[in-house]
Formats: sequence, structure tokens, C-alpha cells
Amino acid sequence: MPTKLQLHLAKVFLKIFLRDRQSIFFSLFFPIIFMTVFAFANNGEVDPIELGIVNNSPSAVANDFSQMLMDNPLFEVTLGEGEQLRTELVEGNQTMVLILPEGFDAGSDGAELQLLVDAAQVQQLSLIMPLLEQTLISIEREFRNIEPMFTLTVEDVQARSQRYLDFLLPGLLAFTLMQLSIAGSGFNIVEYRRKGILKRLFVTPIRPRDFIASIVMARMAIVLIQLTVLILVAVLALDVTIVGNFVSFYFIVMLGTFIFLCLGFCLGSVAKTQQAVMAVGNIVIFPQIFLSGVFYPIESMPELIQPIAKILPLSFVSTAMREIANNGASLLSIAPSLLGIALWFVIAFVLATRLFVWKEVAN
Amino acid sequence: MPIIEVKDLAKKYPLPDKKSEFFYAVDGISLSIEAGEIFGILGPNGAGKTTTLEMLEGLNDIDGGTAFIDGIDVAADPYSVKEIIGVQLQANEYFDNVSLSELLTLFAALYAREVDTNELLGKVNLLDKAQAKPDNLSGGQKQRFSIACALVNTPKVLFLDEPTTGLDPQAKHNLWDLVRELNNAGMTIVLTTHNMEEAESLCERIAIMDHGKLIAEDTPQNLILKHAPNPPQAPLHGNIEDVFLALTGHGLRD
Repeated sequence: MPTKLQLHLAKVFLKIFLRDRQSIFFSLFFPIIFMTVFAFANNGEVDPIELGIVNNSPSAVANDFSQMLMDNPLFEVTLGEGEQLRTELVEGNQTMVLILPEGFDAGSDGAELQLLVDAAQVQQLSLIMPLLEQTLISIEREFRNIEPMFTLTVEDVQARSQRYLDFLLPGLLAFTLMQLSIAGSGFNIVEYRRKGILKRLFVTPIRPRDFIASIVMARMAIVLIQLTVLILVAVLALDVTIVGNFVSFYFIVMLGTFIFLCLGFCLGSVAKTQQAVMAVGNIVIFPQIFLSGVFYPIESMPELIQPIAKILPLSFVSTAMREIANNGASLLSIAPSLLGIALWFVIAFVLATRLFVWKEVAN
Repeated sequence: MPIIEVKDLAKKYPLPDKKSEFFYAVDGISLSIEAGEIFGILGPNGAGKTTTLEMLEGLNDIDGGTAFIDGIDVAADPYSVKEIIGVQLQANEYFDNVSLSELLTLFAALYAREVDTNELLGKVNLLDKAQAKPDNLSGGQKQRFSIACALVNTPKVLFLDEPTTGLDPQAKHNLWDLVRELNNAGMTIVLTTHNMEEAESLCERIAIMDHGKLIAEDTPQNLILKHAPNPPQAPLHGNIEDVFLALTGHGLRD
């Protein structure tokens, strides 16, 4: 539990850190961009296929036919002249162009519809063609008043929709938390040393553990504000759903922040220059980005790596955050992750206080 | 009664080119500084002045000898010593974007104390700068502020490391007045300097160091009597500093 001195000092440091509003908000810039890109890249809906129609037939049937294609949400239809649409197809503004022949009418048998495509998009075509054919068949059925033999109904058994962004967000928050924390303590420590601030602090009778605890608490408050902004953006602007309990979620966030702030302190104590702390920081940060199940589940990794991946601090934190956010897990049901987090909590704090020796860090 | 007692103090560092061999940056210094004294340590660069101070302040390990401040063994209990000393370092940079009064609050918090920041700033003549940032202070103001920071714990001993280096004469004299004021209130002051006038007019006793050793220690008067060469036949009266001050006045510049 924090002592009175630590709390008082944390309050003073917090006030000082809050002065630097620019860096507090600029460090949110990247995660927000990141989330937004993923939200739009994977919004779960198929883009409508751009279909140009050249209607050469004056008949009412041809008119109805193109009208039905227009009404179909799968297609974004442009009506136009043959030459013009062909140019658009070449330029890539249309995915395909459908030409209805002059003799296209109710009475015509086996009228040949012509489909112009760009072979460069063959891959897309293999997906689109069945769709188009199916639409044509159903339209034909309607014209001929034939009842289909069977229909297919799809039912989603998952009660809520899970997009990739929903999966990604807790991991992304965990990752952001790690970055903000390591930068917040580690990089700052090196900066303070360079300026001689650490030496000045060392002249006072402050003990390393009080110094670390108060800085960590003050930084934690800042990181919590930053993450809250990110969560608000995700929930309000990007429509991400967080199923679980917010109190449990923030509990994990606070523990995670503590761990990475302490690890940041270790980095700042070991690395003596800004370049060195960046390099060592990347050694800590990068493997965790890829191995900790931030972007895809740990289970999809090679068997050999999984045991190592699972014991990384970010793995425990991101797994716990994801279980709560996506599946509404209670703290009790994620006990294994919690245990891992608790272990790292102790390791990180003990390491930080051991490595942060005033005499060596300050000079 | 001496408040600082130093006996055979030594600090050794590995040689830059031969790591297995050592040289002594401070080589067996013994000093006794009385309570209420202004004590100056002089010496060329590299003589070991700053290292000596750093050992007394608990910033640097003591490799040999002993140092006691107010009866406390510095090597055994550095944290207790830090409670009763105030230190002004050569480099004085602080956190960005933080005002003087906030910094003083921070330093007081580091001693688990609360201070009247205005009273402290008033003491060093910076009351009107309470909301200013250290970056916007002049050299003299910066030095006075770093003395204010060193006073948050109302120390018994104040260490000043080259406090007037880089200051214009007005700021320098102003700082000397401040040091005298603090000393009159009973504070023991230990300072290093390259400024001979400072040593002569401000310090009650002076120690001169070279190559890590103490080569002379006495009052300025006695040192002059003992070591200064005889004056030339027709001495100049005054010096360039007197001329400078006569022409530019004593008014403090910001």
C-alpha cells in the first residue's frame, strides 16, 4: 500500500506531468489512427460491386431487369453508353459491365447477355460471378413465375456480432498501455538523467522505492486518462462493443500499467543514453507485439513458440483484457491470467527497485 | 565547535586508459569546518573540489577516510545527512513547464515537508517570478532559485558548487549578499569557487586544493601574509572590477 509520502509526492508529480498536455495527447494520435484504419478496413460489410449496365433493348422487361439489379444491395449500378462504360472499366472505375442485347424481351429465348470484365481482377471475379449468376437466375424465376425448389436461411448463433476490430481492440489497448507506460517511465528517466535532474533529486533524502512508487502512481493516472480517451473513441465513434464489466477491465488495465511502468524504470536504469533506451526498449516491446496475441490469437502461432509467448507480461494482460471485453469474463474465471499478472507485478517492482540505484542512475 | 569533520578522505577512479590502475581524485584530505562559518574551497579544474563536496553530500562513495557532518557518519548514514544539508549543484536544470513555486513544492515533498513557497522565493528575491519557468530566468536568478531549492529543508549546512560562475558582477554581488544573509542567520556554508575575490571577501577560511591534496588552509588574511609575493613599488589602486562597477553601477540586472 502506498505511504502518505508516496501519495503526496505522486500528487505533486501528477500535477507536473499534466503540464505536458501536448505529449499526452499526441501519444494518442497513433493508436487512434490505427483503430480507425482497422475499423474501416474490416467493417464486416462487403463493398457493393460496381456494375455498369448498357441497356440496348427498348423493352419493359429489360427496364425491369436493370431496375431489379439496381435495387439489389450487392450491386452499385451505373446505367450508361457502351463506350463510356468500357472506358470506365478500363480505368478501374467499374468492376464489370453488363450489356443487354437489343432483342432482350420476355419472349426471347436464350438471349445472350454480354459481360465485360477486366482480367486483372480475375480473383475478384471468381467471387462475383456466382453472385451475379444467382441474381440473374432469381430474376428470371420471378419473370417466369417459377417458385424456387428450396431456399436457404442463415442463422447467426452468436448473440452479438464480433468483428475483427472487436477482437483487436482489447489487444490494441493492452499494447498501447505497454508503449505509453514504458515510454512514460523509461524514456523519461534517461531524459531526467541527461538534464541532471536525477542528480538533483538524489541530493534529497528520497528513497528509490518511494521515488519509483510515486512516479509510477502519477504516470498511471496519466495512462488511465489516455486509455479512457481511446476506449471512448472506440465505443462512441467506432462502435466497438465491450461486453464485460468496466471495473474488472480497468482493474486489469491498472495492474498492466504498473507492470510496464516498472519495467520502463528497469530500462531507464540500465540504458544510459536516449539511443540505448530506445534500442533496449524495442527489444522488450517488439517481440511482445507479435507474440502476445495482440493482433491474432496465440493459439494460431507455431507450437514451439506458444509456451514462451504465453508467459510474456503483455500476453497475460491482453488475454485478460480480451476475455473481459469480448466474452464478459469475470475476474474469477480468468484466474490463470490474473496469477500471471500478479507474478509479473512482483517481478517488475522488485527488479525496478533493485536496478534503480541512485548512485549509478544519477551520475 | 566543528560541524563538518573530515579525516584522510580519499576517492579513487580507474585510469581512463588502464582500467586496472587507479588514480586518486581526492587524496587524503582532512578538514574541520566550524558551525556558522563560510568556508571556501579553491583549486584549479580537476583538483578534486567537486568530488570532495560530492562525497560529503552522499552523492559519491567514500573510498578512504571518514567524514562526519553534525556528528553523523556520511558513509554509514547518508540519508540522515541529506536531511540536514542543502545542496546547490553546478548543473541546475529542472522539469519542463513547471513553475518555480511548484518546483519548490516538489522539493519540499521530497523531504516529506511542506513549505511556504512565497516566503522562500522572497528570501532569494524571486517573489515576482513565482509563476515563471526556470528556463525563463537569467543566470543570476537561476542560481538564486537553486539556492532556494536547497533551502526547503532549512539545512544546517549549505553546499554551493561554483555559485557565481558565469554571473555578471551585479548578480554576483547580489548572490554574495544572499550568502552573507543566510550565514548571519546561523547557516554554515561551504562553497567552491574559481573567483579569488569571492574567496577573499566572502569566506572566513579558505582551503586550497591541487591534485587531490590540500595544499593550504587558513583565513584569507593569513594566507596573503604567508604566501603572497611582496607588492610592487608603486601599486595600482583598485582593479578592473572596481572600474566596471563604477561605470555600470551596482543595480542588479535581469
